[in-house]
Amino acid sequence: MSNHDTHAEEHAHGHPVVSWQIQLGVLLALLFFTFATVLFYNAESWVEHAFEIHLPGWVNIVGAMSIATVKAILVCMFFMGLKYDKALNTFAMLFCLFCVGLFLGFSMIDLDTRDRVEPWRKAEASLGGTGKSLDSPPIDARFDANPSPSVSTGGLSIVEFRRQQKLEEKGSEEAFWSYYYKKHAEHQHSADINNYFAKLGYDHHVELPTANKAVPRHGLTPGLFAAVDPKEAAHDKSADDHSDDSDH
Amino acid sequence: MQTTLDADTTPAPAHLANHPTHWRNRGYAHHWKNRDEDFEASKFGMWLFLTTEVLLFAGIFCGYAVFRMLYPDAWSNGSHYLDWRFGAANTVVLLISSWTVASAVRCAQLNKQKWLKINLIITLLCAVLFVFIKLKFEYYVKLGDGKAPGTFFTYAFAENPHEVLWWSLYYVGTGIHALHVLIGASLLGWVLYRSWKYQAYGPTEYLMVENSALYWHLVDLVWIFLFPLLYLIH
Repeated sequence: MSNHDTHAEEHAHGHPVVSWQIQLGVLLALLFFTFATVLFYNAESWVEHAFEIHLPGWVNIVGAMSIATVKAILVCMFFMGLKYDKALNTFAMLFCLFCVGLFLGFSMIDLDTRDRVEPWRKAEASLGGTGKSLDSPPIDARFDANPSPSVSTGGLSIVEFRRQQKLEEKGSEEAFWSYYYKKHAEHQHSADINNYFAKLGYDHHVELPTANKAVPRHGLTPGLFAAVDPKEAAHDKSADDHSDDSDH
Repeated sequence: MQTTLDADTTPAPAHLANHPTHWRNRGYAHHWKNRDEDFEASKFGMWLFLTTEVLLFAGIFCGYAVFRMLYPDAWSNGSHYLDWRFGAANTVVLLISSWTVASAVRCAQLNKQKWLKINLIITLLCAVLFVFIKLKFEYYVKLGDGKAPGTFFTYAFAENPHEVLWWSLYYVGTGIHALHVLIGASLLGWVLYRSWKYQAYGPTEYLMVENSALYWHLVDLVWIFLFPLLYLIH
């Protein structure tokens, strides 16, 4: 105790204390924004199904991420106290976020410009970044990650490999799918979700993989693998065929 | 604005009055000019550490963004496999815990020993609830379906070969986040223990509460972004 009694200046000021009214207000705002982002997500799905339109993908992303950013700013300013702190702490975090921006930004720029193959390096353009394809491997060998022959997927993707395994185990397509429906009926919440979707006015069954109802879309570089991978080519082609009647 | 100078001046209980761990009896290291310098420097150190945590999660977010751009169909399928209601429930749990931990700092600043402990206990209960929801309703069900990362994947009804990649990213992202929940809960548990046993934190000695709270808020911040990325964006 005695050593700091000599420092009189420390008694001249205390640390700021955030009032409980502000803290409670911030919590309520955060809960409101959580509700808003969930509402936005459901409203967007509802609009798409009710009016049979497809909103552009960025609506979903920009809506969700901007609400998340507002929430993050609230947490940083009031709960973490950056508003009342020395500016140095805010500066450290902003500089870090700037670096994250560089990291994400340059990754995106790279992806965005991958399909631009300048003539001078055209001859060396090859699949992926592993350099494996320079040896012209058999098609789909990139899926066969395990070199041990006893567990080889035989050149199939693991998704297809597991499907084949289950088909063989069940014996027939029919048994395969009846197993699927039985398994998914066990999930207690699926009935609730179906009722909920029915209330919203469209039939959307979670027993079916909702994946089936995904909007067909392409990557930024459609056909990037098409030249070497017939499966990708077929996928791109079939997606094009269905682009007119893409809803169900 | 209220400051720590306005704190409740209730004296320490007799058995703790001369205990070196009681907050009134804590000094600061001799190389600091005063208590404030010690506090501010340690807190800045914590913020620097938090920036490295942000960079750790930035790697996961970058992986998410890159694979989402390359395989949008698989990513759309992936988010449809998740039930937003569990994500939203966990968001609410973490937001409430963030509020209680911020209140805990306030209580330490104002020497409200009883409410400091109550707030910490609620925070710890929220941490347990978060992990419970994550394991019971999400990991357990999904792993039971075979929706596992990498070569552990056995789900026979996937639509897209790149869904395996989605699950890997899902488990790495939420798994590292859940690890942070456990570490944060351990820190706050330590704070609760010392507060309970020694009344170790008060208006002039609450750095450990403050820094543990900052860590806990970071856990909340990461989830604020993971929730829309995994559950809402399709």
